[in-house]
Amino acid sequence: MSETESGGSDTLRVGDRVELTFPARGDLVVLARLVTSAISARAGFDIESLEDLRLAVGELCLLALQGSDARHGDLCLEFTVAADVIDITCTLAGAGPGSRDAEDTGEADQLSEQILSALVDEYGRTQDDGAVRAWLRKRRRGHLA
Amino acid sequence: MEQEFRIEERVDDGVPVITVAGEIDVASAPQLREALHKVIADGHTTVVLDLLAVTFLDSTALGVLVGALKRCRELGGELHVVVTDPRIMKIFEITGLTKVFPIADSLAAVTAS
Repeated sequence: MSETESGGSDTLRVGDRVELTFPARGDLVVLARLVTSAISARAGFDIESLEDLRLAVGELCLLALQGSDARHGDLCLEFTVAADVIDITCTLAGAGPGSRDAEDTGEADQLSEQILSALVDEYGRTQDDGAVRAWLRKRRRGHLA
Repeated sequence: MEQEFRIEERVDDGVPVITVAGEIDVASAPQLREALHKVIADGHTTVVLDLLAVTFLDSTALGVLVGALKRCRELGGELHVVVTDPRIMKIFEITGLTKVFPIADSLAAVTAS
């Protein structure tokens, strides 16, 4: 039985959910990465996967911010630990249409999707009623799809 | 603890070297873009970007690098990147940019090339 399954005090158990909400500012995306490292470690991911998730979550935030004026919005990250996977959703609410600091962003958006494709098992983005939701799923090594 | 973001510029044998330390992300990438624009606007077409002390790089940073590379090449120059950290190299590899940028493992290797 893994530490995660045994539910030690420094681990996250199956079904545990963690939320982090912060103003949708670029200088605060570092918070998402820091929290992702801590949660991934407690969910039983190895160091390499933890680094992958840290990078992927930054890209997930950027994916949610694509094409939005986020100056007045909030990013809400939700982490859910399951038996063999971690699901992370990033919701941007309260932001109007617009664009990020325009230069180089088209190139960066394409690179962002390449990074997500390489680092996680699944990812996507939906938009409903002004709220953008980007999500990813990563399996622990040794678990088949 | 994340390392503080820093940019330093110097000129070695007529070639500008931009040294970056810390995390280059959506928040700090605009400073790197500005530094690259400045040296290119000053008339330098070949630039060395020292990323040896960089601990994190995201797609925004890569977008800035690709933009600067295009500008250097349009002017007949080059943007050399110096990287050794496997975590940083991995980001170049998964985006296919190892085939686009001239990447060296030391400043001496860039000079030798």
